[in-house]
Amino acid sequence: MNLREAGLGFLRVLGGPEANVKIVVTVKLVPEPSSEKKIDSGTKRLVRTGVETVINPYDEYAIEAALALKEKLGGDTTVTVFAMGPENTKETLRKALAMGADDAVFLSDAGLEGSDVWGTASALALGLKKVGFDLVICGGLSDDGSSGAVPGELTEYLGVPGITNARSLDVVDGKVHAQRETDNGYQVVSGPLPALVSVTMAIGEPRYASLKGIMGAKKKTIAPLAIADLASPLALGSAGAKTRLLDFAPPAPRQKAQVVDAPDGATGAKIIFDFLKEKRLV
Amino acid sequence: MQNVIIFVEHKKEQTRKVTFELATQARSLADRLGGAAHAVVLGAGASQIAEQLRAYPLDTVHVSEDADVDRYLLEPSIAYLEAVAKKIGPSVILVPNTMFGRDIGSRIAARLGGGFAADVTGITVEAGVISCVSPKLGGALITTCAFQNTDFGVVTVRPNAFTAQAGGNGAQINQLEKPAASAAYSVTIESEVEEASGELGLEEAPVVVSGGRGLGGPEPFTTLLKPLADAFGGAVGASRAAADAGWVPYSLQIGQTGKTVSPNLYIAVGISGAIQHKVGMRSSGTIVAINKDGAAAIADFADLVVVGDLFQIVPELTKMVEAAKT
Ligand SMILES: Cc1cc2nc3c(=O)[nH]c(=O)nc-3n(C[C@H](O)[C@H](O)[C@H](O)COP(=O)(O)OP(=O)(O)OC[C@H]3O[C@@H](n4cnc5c(N)ncnc54)[C@H](O)[C@@H]3O)c2cc1C
Ligand SMILES: Nc1ncnc2c1ncn2[C@@H]1O[C@H](COP(=O)(O)O)[C@@H](O)[C@H]1O
Repeated sequence: MNLREAGLGFLRVLGGPEANVKIVVTVKLVPEPSSEKKIDSGTKRLVRTGVETVINPYDEYAIEAALALKEKLGGDTTVTVFAMGPENTKETLRKALAMGADDAVFLSDAGLEGSDVWGTASALALGLKKVGFDLVICGGLSDDGSSGAVPGELTEYLGVPGITNARSLDVVDGKVHAQRETDNGYQVVSGPLPALVSVTMAIGEPRYASLKGIMGAKKKTIAPLAIADLASPLALGSAGAKTRLLDFAPPAPRQKAQVVDAPDGATGAKIIFDFLKEKRLV
Repeated sequence: MQNVIIFVEHKKEQTRKVTFELATQARSLADRLGGAAHAVVLGAGASQIAEQLRAYPLDTVHVSEDADVDRYLLEPSIAYLEAVAKKIGPSVILVPNTMFGRDIGSRIAARLGGGFAADVTGITVEAGVISCVSPKLGGALITTCAFQNTDFGVVTVRPNAFTAQAGGNGAQINQLEKPAASAAYSVTIESEVEEASGELGLEEAPVVVSGGRGLGGPEPFTTLLKPLADAFGGAVGASRAAADAGWVPYSLQIGQTGKTVSPNLYIAVGISGAIQHKVGMRSSGTIVAINKDGAAAIADFADLVVVGDLFQIVPELTKMVEAAKT
């Protein structure tokens, strides 16, 4: 069973030309990437409390893409950031507001704990439908979940055209145009709004929040959403999850490297060659 | 989940090596589940790839050369795959853990209301329950996940994690009918531009020679690294610093936000070994680094670090590897 079958219809909220595109960026709040991450052995979930939380680095690029598009389109175009996560991570969203997003929506509910890709995408889809959008922009990958599957699943549940891995993005005459990265180059693609686009880091370096932005962010709204607001036809969170973590363990440790000085090129090459020969790699 | 379906990635009448790894794994998995092994191949050149697949132990290869598949982004592929899955019933769908595989996998998982397991390196079946082994949190943990509450599971399989073995009696070829959804396709592919060599395959190369900021510019990638990679029959990769500098296309980037590779041999040339790079290559068989800084982070997870100037070492090494071949 999925949301498509449950009849999630999507209605375009804003009908106007590109001068008033409602952009919503999905942002995940993740433990600081270089921090040591722990999985709770009881719940088998990533520990998200008592750790420093940041905006998923990839999603800063998604925010940048949205802000750049807003600057280009002008008019009444707006940028909303939408995050789903535990209550203690909420204030991290101010950083997105400080970068220049207009407002934020924070979906948080104990009933969403233990969501897998399916549950995350389903909950985000219901939340986005409630908030309304013309264009959803996602990051390509979360630092902690790292499935890279949420944008694709979300596309399906929203029932809109989907473009992944965009390295450039534009909206003209109610259509989204993008260059999307492929394994050996890019494709030029286009589709009608409303639509979903995920971006790569080639879209452009995220801007820094200005002092004015940081001050202004304090006054912007972070609207709360809970499971009850979603009116989900399906069980979400761990109850509905399609995957369950059974077990986890650290990988077998690697032996410490041999570090050898090479006084010149020929010696260095020989050291490597002999090493590879011993391992039957040459 | 009883049957197994593999979705075949191909381009210009060439498929990836991982396709044959998937086909072999599909047979083994189908036998363990008591189901059949299917493949779906779509778009220009599909029939020819289907013929190649008949050398592998599959039961049925579903084919369509519908031009829509190459005209619209993903939507036709998903419509065909959905039709096959719904027809044959409860299934696990295997796709490669590549950019394309993740796109197909996520869309079809949602379409079927199935579970999704990413970057899988092992699959077990116990009492009919399928569990997937995959490295998570940048390889810091190896996890095992089971599917539940669903008839369909999608697995993106890491290239080089399973072996390929030809065999079987030649699959039946089944021509697919155009799906009803075809009227609603919405994302058009207007043109396609090739920037890199055009081959599929950094992820599955047996040897990867990667360059970083230490190379100092774009030229050494072609004059130094490419000859060494060629001598090994391998491929060239890069760090993000090199891609960000515009020295190589992003399609060569290895790491957290690039490709994940696990070749038999990884040679890191002028790469410091930042955590974001490490997570894309740490599961390589043997890791050798050439770096002028013996204390670079890469020394923490390489097997051998040669401390010296890459511009002197690489050409000499290329000569030695070439000489060893003849
Ligand atoms: C969100 C995020 C995602 C990221 N994703 C990725 C990713 O997917 N992949 C990735 O690679 N990085 C990624 N990074 C970047 C990463 O943190 C590092 O900045 C990057 O990997 C550094 O690249 P490098 O090793 O080439 O450069 P440097 O760190 O500058 O290292 C260059 C090395 O070359 C050596 N060197 C210089 N000259 C010579 C010489 N003549 N001979 C021998 N050695 C020499 C130096 O000693 C040094 O160790 C990401 C960063 C962030 C924040
Ligand atoms: N809990 C979440 N809240 C908001 N956005 C999310 C969440 N999880 C994933 N995403 C979005 O989906 C992208 C890919 O994440 P993932 O599929 O987990 O690798 C991220 O870059 C975000 O844009």
